[in-house]
Amino acid sequence: MADDAKKKEIYEKLRNGVIQYDEDACKEGAQEAIDAGLDANEAIFDGLVSGMEEVGRLFEAQEYFVPEILMCADALYAGLDILKPHCKQMDLGVKGSVVIGTVEGDVHDIGKNLVKMMFDVAGFNVYDLGRDVPLDKFVEEQLKTDSELVCLSAMMTTSMVGMPKVIEKIKEKNPNCMIMIGGAPTSKELADKWGADGYAEDASNALKEAIKMVAFLKKLRDEKLKK
Amino acid sequence: MNSRERVLKVFKGEQVDRVPCFSGMGNITEAAINQLGYKFAGIHLDAKMMAETAASTYKMFGLECGVVPVDLCVEAEALGCVINVYPQAEGILYPTIKEKLIHNEGEMDSVNIPADLGSRGRVPLLMEAIKLMKADIGSDVAVGSYVLGPFTLAGQIMELNDLLKLSFKKADKVAKLLDLMADAIIVVAKEYEKAGIDYITVREMGATSDVLSPRVFKNLIMPPLQKISKELKVFSVLHICGKTNDIVIPMAEAGYTAISVEQKNDVAETRKKLGPGAIIFGNYDPYNVLVSGTEDLVRSTMRKCIDDGVSAIWPGCDIWPTVPPQNMKAMMDETIKYGGKS
Repeated sequence: MADDAKKKEIYEKLRNGVIQYDEDACKEGAQEAIDAGLDANEAIFDGLVSGMEEVGRLFEAQEYFVPEILMCADALYAGLDILKPHCKQMDLGVKGSVVIGTVEGDVHDIGKNLVKMMFDVAGFNVYDLGRDVPLDKFVEEQLKTDSELVCLSAMMTTSMVGMPKVIEKIKEKNPNCMIMIGGAPTSKELADKWGADGYAEDASNALKEAIKMVAFLKKLRDEKLKK
Repeated sequence: MNSRERVLKVFKGEQVDRVPCFSGMGNITEAAINQLGYKFAGIHLDAKMMAETAASTYKMFGLECGVVPVDLCVEAEALGCVINVYPQAEGILYPTIKEKLIHNEGEMDSVNIPADLGSRGRVPLLMEAIKLMKADIGSDVAVGSYVLGPFTLAGQIMELNDLLKLSFKKADKVAKLLDLMADAIIVVAKEYEKAGIDYITVREMGATSDVLSPRVFKNLIMPPLQKISKELKVFSVLHICGKTNDIVIPMAEAGYTAISVEQKNDVAETRKKLGPGAIIFGNYDPYNVLVSGTEDLVRSTMRKCIDDGVSAIWPGCDIWPTVPPQNMKAMMDETIKYGGKS
């Protein structure tokens, strides 16, 4: 087992690899973590996710914009692909499966993909329906997979208005299912009005919301480990 | 002074009795579609239906313009993309691009503009619609059209995800593509000019500061935008939605008659930055105010736009068709009552 200094160095490499959108550094860091026998979950959260949190901050401070975030996401996935097979099954006390997609009439999927990334990181089963998804498909997929979370994304006002129909149909069949809506035209008011449980208006916000959710899960895990 | 004169005077920077209330983007209403007995999906493919529907917003509510097209896919389709108009949709779904032109980075170099671009896709249909609309309401209101900006169009013919990353990693390659897009946009705009439009809006919403840094905007987006504005003969508007506070100065320097910004822009501040002579259109939220807001919210928002110093009351995006008729009326009524105050 690696000593603490070595561990810190590896996590730092993963973190910086994400921040500096350096895919190679993330791959190397991930391999070093495996070779050193480090816990893959911990490497993901304390390395990659920690880097993504900083990326979210840089976006908020308007130092980074969407192109940078996309490149950081590529770097994160480069590390994640190596670490994931080594993850122990995470017992987080939640089942963790999510149906996600961009609603019909909208072909924008960048925000959706960023949120999806955080669910991938958290070890969720992600059922990604892609973009321009017919509204009924969300309802069907939720029923089929019994997912506890459905995320609906829209970039255009012109496609957002399909959202309340999906929310209504899902809640009717499965009142406990949580629904998150996201995209530029959405708002807290609309989320409340339509009966959605959460919302994120832009990529940074979505990223933050997803990070918050994942950070919360991590806390649960840590608390469990302490017991 | 009728609506047409008022709008044209604003473009010329001349004195008007009050600010006009119009748009350079889609503004058709479901109320009109229903009254005419049309289906939303049908009006994109029929010049007469498109022209009639577009003219109805002036006829029913007094919005001081007529604008076609209704969707955002005309240029991409003419370049060879396949579009989906969702013919089976019950509600309102705007057309989207189903099949892109560029599938990977390598194909960026092989794109070229068809020699007959001006007669491909729905460009001739649009010309027909412009002529019909102009014959119908052209003496009462200014008739306008819109094209996409080069970056937004590039984001339609290739994966936006790739375009964004390449605009960072391989800016030269993207610059070349955007220059080509500018050429295509100029061809289409010139056809619309031939058909008789009074003004044209270039919608470059993909280059908003929500997505691209002001630095990238200046280096990469400005040159093709300037190339387009140099070629336009009619009055022109550069529209960018989302965050624009940090790019209004370059926007104003891009060579367009006016700039258009949405509700995220601090217009009072923009007015200060650009001075009294700048023509600034905006900046109410067409969904959360006009569609889902109360009449009171519509009225107070119009007053705020005027107090902040807009040159015309103008929406932040397309007016969403399900807009309640009473809100359209409130918007026009408040503009007429309050718009001559300053």
